Amino acid sequence: MDKVGIVGFYQVKLYSDANYGRYEMIFEAVRGAIDSAGLKKKDITTAISCTNDYYDGRTISNCYTVEVGGGYMADESKVEMDGAHAVLYGLMRILSGNHKLSLVWGGSMASCFPYHAARLYETDPTWERPVAYVNDITAAGFQMRAYLEKYGVSIEDIAKIAVKNRKNASRNPLALQEAQNANITVKDVLDSEIYADPVTELMVAQPCDGVAALLLAPEKQALKITDNPVWITGVGYNQETYYLGDRDLTKSMSMELAGKMAFDAAGIKDPKKEIDLAEFFEAYAHEEVIFSEALGLVDMGEGTNLNSEIDGDIPINPSGGAIGGNPPCGTGLIRIIEAAKQLKGEADGYQVKDAKKAIASGQIGMCAQNNIVYILEGGN
Amino acid sequence: MSKLTQRKSMDYIKKQYRETRKMPGSWYLSNYKYKYNITHLQPFLKKLKEKKLVGLKCSGCNTVYYPPRFVCGKCLVKPNRWVDLRETGKVSTFAIAYLKDPETGEIQEKPMVLVHHDGADTASIAQLNPEVDFKDTYIGMPIKAHWAENPVGGLMDVEYYDLMKDDAKDLDLPED
Amino acid sequence: MGRQVAIVSAGFSEHASKRSDVNIAELVSEAVEDCLKKAPSVSFEDIDAFATGNMPGFEGSNLPELWMADWMGARNKPLMRVTTGGTTGGSVGIAGYYTVTAGLPGIDTVLAIAFEQQSQGDTSVGLANVAYGEVSLLNYLGLTYDQVGRLLSAGAAIGVAAYQATNYMHKTKIVEEDLARVVVQNRRNAAKTWWAHLKMPNLTIEQVLDTPYISFPLRYGMVCPASDGACAVLFTTEEKAKNMCDIPVYVNGVASVAHETAILGYSASGSAQIDPSEQLGAMKTSEICYQQAGISFPRKEIDYAEVYSPFPNQELMWVEKLGLFEETTAPEMYKNGVTALNGELPICCSGGVNSTNAIGASALERPAVAALQIMGKASNQVPKTVHTAIGHGWGGSLNLCTMMVMSDEPQRKWR
Ligand SMILES: [Zn+2]
Repeated sequence: MDKVGIVGFYQVKLYSDANYGRYEMIFEAVRGAIDSAGLKKKDITTAISCTNDYYDGRTISNCYTVEVGGGYMADESKVEMDGAHAVLYGLMRILSGNHKLSLVWGGSMASCFPYHAARLYETDPTWERPVAYVNDITAAGFQMRAYLEKYGVSIEDIAKIAVKNRKNASRNPLALQEAQNANITVKDVLDSEIYADPVTELMVAQPCDGVAALLLAPEKQALKITDNPVWITGVGYNQETYYLGDRDLTKSMSMELAGKMAFDAAGIKDPKKEIDLAEFFEAYAHEEVIFSEALGLVDMGEGTNLNSEIDGDIPINPSGGAIGGNPPCGTGLIRIIEAAKQLKGEADGYQVKDAKKAIASGQIGMCAQNNIVYILEGGN
Repeated sequence: MSKLTQRKSMDYIKKQYRETRKMPGSWYLSNYKYKYNITHLQPFLKKLKEKKLVGLKCSGCNTVYYPPRFVCGKCLVKPNRWVDLRETGKVSTFAIAYLKDPETGEIQEKPMVLVHHDGADTASIAQLNPEVDFKDTYIGMPIKAHWAENPVGGLMDVEYYDLMKDDAKDLDLPED
Repeated sequence: MGRQVAIVSAGFSEHASKRSDVNIAELVSEAVEDCLKKAPSVSFEDIDAFATGNMPGFEGSNLPELWMADWMGARNKPLMRVTTGGTTGGSVGIAGYYTVTAGLPGIDTVLAIAFEQQSQGDTSVGLANVAYGEVSLLNYLGLTYDQVGRLLSAGAAIGVAAYQATNYMHKTKIVEEDLARVVVQNRRNAAKTWWAHLKMPNLTIEQVLDTPYISFPLRYGMVCPASDGACAVLFTTEEKAKNMCDIPVYVNGVASVAHETAILGYSASGSAQIDPSEQLGAMKTSEICYQQAGISFPRKEIDYAEVYSPFPNQELMWVEKLGLFEETTAPEMYKNGVTALNGELPICCSGGVNSTNAIGASALERPAVAALQIMGKASNQVPKTVHTAIGHGWGGSLNLCTMMVMSDEPQRKWR
């Protein structure tokens, strides 16, 4: 596939209960992204939004966001998945040759609704919803337990991931304040409230308020807009079966297939050597391990042994990841923005040295049923 | 899943399991707490209390928004100039709702209008004087705001719109 | 840069007000089966990716494709979900088009699926939710709920359409009979379409005018039903399409331009759409589509049109706004039979949305029927040969619009 440039981006500061309305937040992100590229409203020919009717409590959740979301008289559409999937649609529109600049924004306000209750409506209405025992949290419990048992990994090793991400988040000024903790210990994580054993509160990516936006342009156009674009050189997405019993929960089939597709597109043979950093949407701490194994960044079962600190072998989630703040429909998009920041050398305080190629991912569904992976490259 | 299994499973579901059960469920509205920032509405509400109408004008495209809004979708900038509006306007469109009276059970005809205020570029939803016969409503009908006796700085300060009989008098009102 | 896209097949489930014999997944599988039956050489392995969507608030299920993956044949395949309210189907079709044309490695053939089983949920709750937040704000600003209720009782889809109808009737000076004529044509056409919902082969104008008003000027007999149904359309590349069917239908133009929300703007701020029947968004949409497809004279070059019109006034309005007829002349064309099955420019020979409205699926059914008319496989096939056709969708608060221009000749702009 042809490479596509990220020419501008903006993310609002994440809050657990923001003191402003939905439209103001969307406007701030969209205007910020357009300003960051030095463009005008009329340059936007297509606008893709990402919201969810249930998360917003609004049927047709893109109906009232046309004006604030930069969609007025533009070729507009909405992807109802993760923000990273919306970027995919924006990317397709650029690759089609029909559009020269596409605006993508996504996000939601989790303070307006009980996030995990809304996610109950994603379960099978016949078998699982009536009993309500199977939901995104208990499913994560199943998966974490299965992983721990299979590879004989201790729960402390998973807690370490949460510790690392929360420490990283403390260096990211846009991360959620509640998630920023430079002095957190493994004990703190394990002693926090139990959500669904073995998942504890601090291993969960806390839903919050936030919107992010980015601008995509084809190669030629991108170089006109900025001297220093970040290139999307590969993308892959995939959905596996829903039923947890049909899946091997100790790995992520959809991530593996999505990764294959993305690596093929970007011409990456050995991800272990070629990838300099990864930004994953890990809704739960253990997902980071499973994703890095699925993408071949580390051998199967060795995920917890990888040094993924900011100065480690392959830094994972130097921004704090989703554990550093998880605005529904925006998290995957923020991962792409954070990876782009690293490649541009703009990640003040949590910059990875010599970052040239990065992975960013997004997901939806229980145990990350549907995954999307991007390969990003910096420089010209 | 192979093609055969897939096809088979479809047939299986359709032929072997004819009966489908209904599962109860609901979408609770009460759980949502919508958030709105009303900073840009405060000057407007304050003026309503003084029986004055104001709109917000976008410097980019000169569109006057009434009621005020904080972003102009055309330019994607914040409108920032307050302008005074007249109390007069026109019916830009209307529909007649058929509502059941909760007490008598009678079907009542209620004309609902979209009012286009003179000096504004947007239309807003409003109601006519209940004494106006709905058969008299037409597009372009001149109307005038009818104020509540004691305005409180809320949307009900303009109680309803009166039919305007003599519009010559209103033309003397000062312009913005 | 972009590949030529073709439609090789389209399928429908049976539509009815209550398909209580199936659940959503089974309903979808009906449409998928019908779609693949029409393209016998295509099997599930040939489908590389999926584009799906529905209106989730109406069914009480969020992201249903998660648990429906296996019924659609989407296990371990790329899948993208697009939902935009009433235009969902159209947006899903356009997403299918873009997935093929983008040329991502390994993705050539894409199945677009749109569905709705309204009988599973509470449609009125779903609709109330469209503006629930804005209404709460109105209430906070001093309007009592009683007042809000009265103002917006004409405010659900039927309400905004009523405002639009008043405007349109004012401009064209038509009477209710003209609206009823459109309904009669649609419901009679529906009687000849196997999957349609409201089939009324003997409906007359008098019968339509005999029903009470739901919201002036619209009567009960004029508005669309609420249906359960699904639709699937198979998109692929130009090269592969030739092996999959006899007459591939090439997608030459797509667009979905959004305008401001009508009646009640965001944050309850009114609307700059002073005349809801002006439809600048739809005009821009068609302009972009025709430009992409290289159509300079839509009136002459288009042989068949499927427009999204739950209400008869909209059908008249759309055919004008999309450039098929001069402004204000559409009612005359319906009177003279130009738009009938054997007319010069047949419109909505499937019965249209006016006869069948499974909300999320409706806007995909439009291009699907138009494509089948070009292939000569539609169930109420027009007698003349159709070379170029359009499928249109409408939704949101009168502000969203989708459109797809299809032809039996590829547009050679990519070369
Ligand atoms: Zn402006």
